[in-house]
Amino acid sequence: MNYHITHRTLYEYAAPVSVSHHVARLEPRASATQARENFSLQIFPEPTLRKARVDYFGNSLCFFAIQEIHNRLEIISHSRVSVNARKPVPPESTAPWESVAEMFLDPVSPEVIEPYQFVFDSPQIRASQELADYARESFGKGTPLLVGTRDLTGRIFRDFKFDPRATTVATPLEEVWLKRRGVCQDFAHLGIACLRSLGLPARYVSGYLRTHPPAGKPRLVGADASHAWFRIFCPGTGWMDFDPTNNVQPTEEHIIVAYGRDFGDVSPVAGILTGGGKHDVKVSVDVEPLD
Amino acid sequence: MLKDYKLNSGFDEMLDEQTGVRSHYSKFHQLFEGLTPAEFQAKRQAVDTAFLRQGVTFNVYGDAAGAEKVFPFDLLPRIIPAKEWEHIERGLAQRITALNLFLHDIYHEQKILKDGVIPEFYVLSARHFRREFVNFNVPKDIYIHVCGTDLIRDAQGNYLVLEDNGRCPSGVSYVLENRRALKRAFPSMFENIGVRPVDNYPQELLKSLKYIAPAGVADPTVVVLTPGAYNSAYFEHTYLARQMGIEIVEGRDLFVRDSRVFMRTTKGPQPVHVIYRRIDDDFIDPTVFRRDSMLGVPGLINAYRAGSVSLANSIGTGLADDKVMYYFVPRMIKYYLDQDPILPNVPTYLASEEKDLKYILENLPKLVVKAANESGGYGMLMGPKASTEEIEKFRSLIIADPRNYIAQPMIFLSQHPTYCDDNFDGRHVDLRPFVLSGERISIIPGGLTRVALRKGSLVVNSSQGGGSKDTWVLYGDE
Repeated sequence: MNYHITHRTLYEYAAPVSVSHHVARLEPRASATQARENFSLQIFPEPTLRKARVDYFGNSLCFFAIQEIHNRLEIISHSRVSVNARKPVPPESTAPWESVAEMFLDPVSPEVIEPYQFVFDSPQIRASQELADYARESFGKGTPLLVGTRDLTGRIFRDFKFDPRATTVATPLEEVWLKRRGVCQDFAHLGIACLRSLGLPARYVSGYLRTHPPAGKPRLVGADASHAWFRIFCPGTGWMDFDPTNNVQPTEEHIIVAYGRDFGDVSPVAGILTGGGKHDVKVSVDVEPLD
Repeated sequence: MLKDYKLNSGFDEMLDEQTGVRSHYSKFHQLFEGLTPAEFQAKRQAVDTAFLRQGVTFNVYGDAAGAEKVFPFDLLPRIIPAKEWEHIERGLAQRITALNLFLHDIYHEQKILKDGVIPEFYVLSARHFRREFVNFNVPKDIYIHVCGTDLIRDAQGNYLVLEDNGRCPSGVSYVLENRRALKRAFPSMFENIGVRPVDNYPQELLKSLKYIAPAGVADPTVVVLTPGAYNSAYFEHTYLARQMGIEIVEGRDLFVRDSRVFMRTTKGPQPVHVIYRRIDDDFIDPTVFRRDSMLGVPGLINAYRAGSVSLANSIGTGLADDKVMYYFVPRMIKYYLDQDPILPNVPTYLASEEKDLKYILENLPKLVVKAANESGGYGMLMGPKASTEEIEKFRSLIIADPRNYIAQPMIFLSQHPTYCDDNFDGRHVDLRPFVLSGERISIIPGGLTRVALRKGSLVVNSSQGGGSKDTWVLYGDE
């Protein structure tokens, strides 16, 4: 499946900004299931300084600074990506989850050393007994890893209500847990926190999702949003993605931009400015299928 | 005046049980005995007034009564003979070398983990492991430029390492001020006894800072970056800046333009090349670390990456002063240097090791428990002195988060005669030497001797009722 993705972020400031520094992580990753054919990043006003590099997790990032007075900042990325669904793994055929958790008690083989770092707490995700108890309802004794994960994904989907007004990017996970509401970022964090509470490695993924217009209606341009989900490490197979916001296992309709321990590692656009006062952000994402 | 001084249990710095006054104290003892009590009192008062007038103070967090306190100073110096100091110096140089090699390795190949010498677990779960800096080359490969290593002495007088402070160790300003005060109080003693000077520390520090200046900068501008007047060590930040003759700045005094750091001055922007930062990683640049930090400089880390500015200490050194990583320092010394540690560690148990955890939980009333990433005596349990509630509180803390705790047997620090309640009595002391890594390793002769002023107390932290003494390293052994 081929896509052309346009991601626009527009900041409008109430007062002039004299200097701003930003980090953008908008370039889709290349991987076995995803080829990045083209990427461009336009920034207005033109930054005085612009530096691209690859971070610790292998995500591309662009640091830029604008040193002239500006009242608005617009960031537009265009990506051409082709996504190939991986061969599905029958969840019943995966190893019992306890044996996977056990591999990480004393990780020695090279296969598990890389995922090992995703077992630990990270700045925005803390494991807890309460979350482990919640997760255990999906991970009974001997449950195959992906059967449990699929079930957990479904429970988060049913037990938590999608509500964009309930949380912000800064809402701690504990509050999401109590309110039982949130958005994709919160549900991804929650899934990861549950899995890590059982000693299983899980990663945060930021990206895009293709959306389908209601039957008979044309596709609305720019109505999509950036999206987030999680992946779990499955020995012998690799990382497997799960989307608790939609209760699906991503195939050809999820486009991966970046991954890390939690949102903090992959935030699409983050910045610090001098001046500016109150500001207004408009984000529009368009995921256009080309096939 | 010291003739009524009695030995308490444990190792005494001045008195030997059998032979009386130790030889390296004998000259001082003799001169000091020549003072009348009235003369002593006059000197004591003069020193106290001088400290207050010069603002030699520190701040205690969570103290509503007032931000600044005078750091209590005891007039009796702690004396170290040359032979002993030489041993300490070799041990500290060995340790800082290993720590810098360790940090370089962890932020590059991670050989020590791959070879199984330190379990990966402890690095990956460390709060101060800065993934952003993996494969980044710091200037001259030095990570810790200024290290404060705390030493204590056991019952036999052996020096042991209690912890390494490799982020922003403080206390050196007191070393310098204590010496000035004592020189004023006892002007003739220093030459008579042969005490090594400490006053070139600021110049040595400046030399180490200039050493890491970006290539091609002939006369680098060095600044001290402070979080501001509410930081507990603000006095020290201003003091060191003044002594080095350089500017002290807060985050808002600096800005980044074209990947270069500038300082705002009345004559316009001035480029800055080296920053002696006394502000933690978390707060130093909100574009990279904590976004809510108002103390840092946005864009600083990008300038650091671009090589236009150098930082001391480097980013990510907190990994080495994690109290769990401390446990592994002897292994680092063996691994990188193929040597045995000259200064041993205090025996340590890791709560994250099952066997150790069992021992810790069974022996809590006998042990000292410390949180891995706290300092200043916060987050600590002194088992033998704690109430049942405190012990139970720590028991549940440890069970909930074993990675965050270590335990050590209670070591009865050495004692030193100290003037308390109109009398000389033994009080527990430790020693924090300051180690500079630049073109070479340079260690201030002595360091900060902290003394627990409460009788029987083993906590010397200034925030917990500690005071300090001048530390004399002798040219000779007597």
